Amino acid sequence: MKTLHLAAAAVLASALAAGGALAQAPVKIGLVLPYSAGPFVAIANEITDSMALALEETGYMVAGRKIELVREDTTHKPDVAQAKAKKLVFEDKVDMLVGPVASAELTALFDFAHQSKVPLLIPNAGDNEVTGEKCSPWVLRTSFSNDQIVRDMGTWMAGKGYKKVALLAFDYKAGHQLMGGFKKPFVAAGGTIVTEQYPPFGRLSDFGPWLGRIRDAKPDAIFSFFAGPPATLLVQQFKEFGLDREMKLTGAGWLVSPLNLPSQGQAAAGVIGVLNYVPAIDNPVNKSYQERFQAKFKRVGSEFGAQGYDTAKLIHAALAQAGGKTDDKAALVKAMHAVRIEGTRGPLRIDPRTNNVVQDIYVFETEMQGSAVGYKVLDRIRDVQDPPNGCTLGG
Amino acid sequence: MTPPASGTRHVVAVLLAAAAGGYWLASGYYGKELLAETAITAILAMSLSLLVGQAGLVSLGHAAFFGIGAYALAGFGARLGWPPALAMAAAVATGAVAALLVGLVAVRLAGVFFIMITLAAGEMAHAWFLKDRLFGGVGGMAGVPRLDLSAIGIDTGDPASFALLALGVAILVYLLLDRLVLSPFGQTLRAIHQNEERARALGCPVGRYKLAAFVVAGAVAALAGTLAAQRSAFVSPELLTWTLSGEVLIVVIVGGGASLLGVSAAAALWIGLRHQLSTLTDHWMLAMGAIFVVLVLVAGDGIDGAVRGLWRRLAQRRGP
Repeated sequence: MKTLHLAAAAVLASALAAGGALAQAPVKIGLVLPYSAGPFVAIANEITDSMALALEETGYMVAGRKIELVREDTTHKPDVAQAKAKKLVFEDKVDMLVGPVASAELTALFDFAHQSKVPLLIPNAGDNEVTGEKCSPWVLRTSFSNDQIVRDMGTWMAGKGYKKVALLAFDYKAGHQLMGGFKKPFVAAGGTIVTEQYPPFGRLSDFGPWLGRIRDAKPDAIFSFFAGPPATLLVQQFKEFGLDREMKLTGAGWLVSPLNLPSQGQAAAGVIGVLNYVPAIDNPVNKSYQERFQAKFKRVGSEFGAQGYDTAKLIHAALAQAGGKTDDKAALVKAMHAVRIEGTRGPLRIDPRTNNVVQDIYVFETEMQGSAVGYKVLDRIRDVQDPPNGCTLGG
Repeated sequence: MTPPASGTRHVVAVLLAAAAGGYWLASGYYGKELLAETAITAILAMSLSLLVGQAGLVSLGHAAFFGIGAYALAGFGARLGWPPALAMAAAVATGAVAALLVGLVAVRLAGVFFIMITLAAGEMAHAWFLKDRLFGGVGGMAGVPRLDLSAIGIDTGDPASFALLALGVAILVYLLLDRLVLSPFGQTLRAIHQNEERARALGCPVGRYKLAAFVVAGAVAALAGTLAAQRSAFVSPELLTWTLSGEVLIVVIVGGGASLLGVSAAAALWIGLRHQLSTLTDHWMLAMGAIFVVLVLVAGDGIDGAVRGLWRRLAQRRGP
């Protein structure tokens, strides 16, 4: 009889243990980013490293479950990005996806996430339509929409006396969205666009012709959108041509990103930017993020890293709110809508009407700080929220 | 240039198909995706093999026709709402017409000038789709429909079925191109490749033969493009980049240029290596480059040449 009891207890214990093990199964977050090829490798790594920093703070744990990051490389190809996303969902059984960087990869991932009802968090891609007319209940954005970055900048610049502005961006969708988003409020605030220049998208070795045309139009300022190597080229040529004595160089803040400053050198000083993040933001979360990032990687964390960090923070907060349960994906998304976090960028939340982030936008200027170029925050526009723009999630 | 005709190629073809079938049975979800990608790459490589290996026309803009096929399917199938089968046929025809237009200019040129003009045409097509608004520009367009085979009980939405479909089309393309290569048409192409002046002196309309090869290759590349668009339900300008043209050219060279089976095997090697290496390291392209340099050094005639050499040696050893 006694042995029978013992056996029953053993069976019970092992059943409990099995149940316990089941509850202990890790929460899996699938990362679909271009790690090995294309122009966004640095951004992909910055996002991943910063997500890891944020999760390290929590010990990679939430509500008794481990959190696991599963990396997949898109090799900067949209069809590979989609195949890898499917692999993560169907084979690795991840609970959510984070990615991608480029807009073509986003188009390829978007429909898959929408149809398979797996939460997809976009850590860096700005196409307005994704949280506008094309929005999906399953696709959330923790980075920004193009419109959100520049919408209040037109009013700000007109208010500061920059009445005549020249627009300069690559001739493609994001270029036109950012310039268009700036232009409308700027003109409404009494500003005049004296010229719009759109060089062909892609490789560009000389801004000369475009800067020449802008000089002829005699603006008070250039408002521009460039990132990566073209941004470095523009900042340098602007200085070389002596345009800094005639007008101000301004633009979406990626122009003078911490990723570009080393190659731009002192030419980067004196540029006004507008962005959802700048390393000089004065709040405890950002301070500790920059300290830990700089200690580990020996360089300043960029806006891409900050977005990655905040994305992981938001995911963690939502998982905690959902009690670590991930089976009900709709409830998980609901938790993501419900949480409010203090991020590197200040207070953050996801707007349930559009699934776009609501965040503060910063106007900043670069200046010489000792022997290096640093950032000074000029203005902070709080709680910038997109209108639905055709998105019907809010009913 | 050895003529590709030999009975053993049937054995090799069956072995390759069997390997693909075995992989299909053994692989999981992601394996089916890789298999479909391999079949599509093999079709694209076989179409380029007709140009490079048979006619000696080294094109560096072949991805343009691949992309045009994909975009045409998106246009006819998604934008205009034609039934997928009809849209596919129209897309292949579009690829043929595009190849005809480019070919009319390109085949008049030889050597490096042919390479440059195909590269330029490819870049023009790429630039056009980057700027265009109808298909979403840089971001591309989703919602490309898949072939509807529910009438014969096949759900092409299922990755396993779609992989089989792509494989089936690849086999069909192989059989057709194999016929073409062995036909008098193929022989004439090889004659032009070996000595264009002599072929012309013998009264062969060299330009027309080259143009015909260019159009067939463009149409088959467009067919591969329609499958690629269906696989991811999506098109973007990435499909037309010159780097893709370059990759396919490498696959063709590694495969042995003229051998349809060789380039198909090289396509499988390319996709397989890329997948395996990229899971191991972010510097997979470096490793892949090294592997292909070694391959070309060790087997100058590509996979096809290496297999033939091995076969000969085995035959000699067994022989009296």
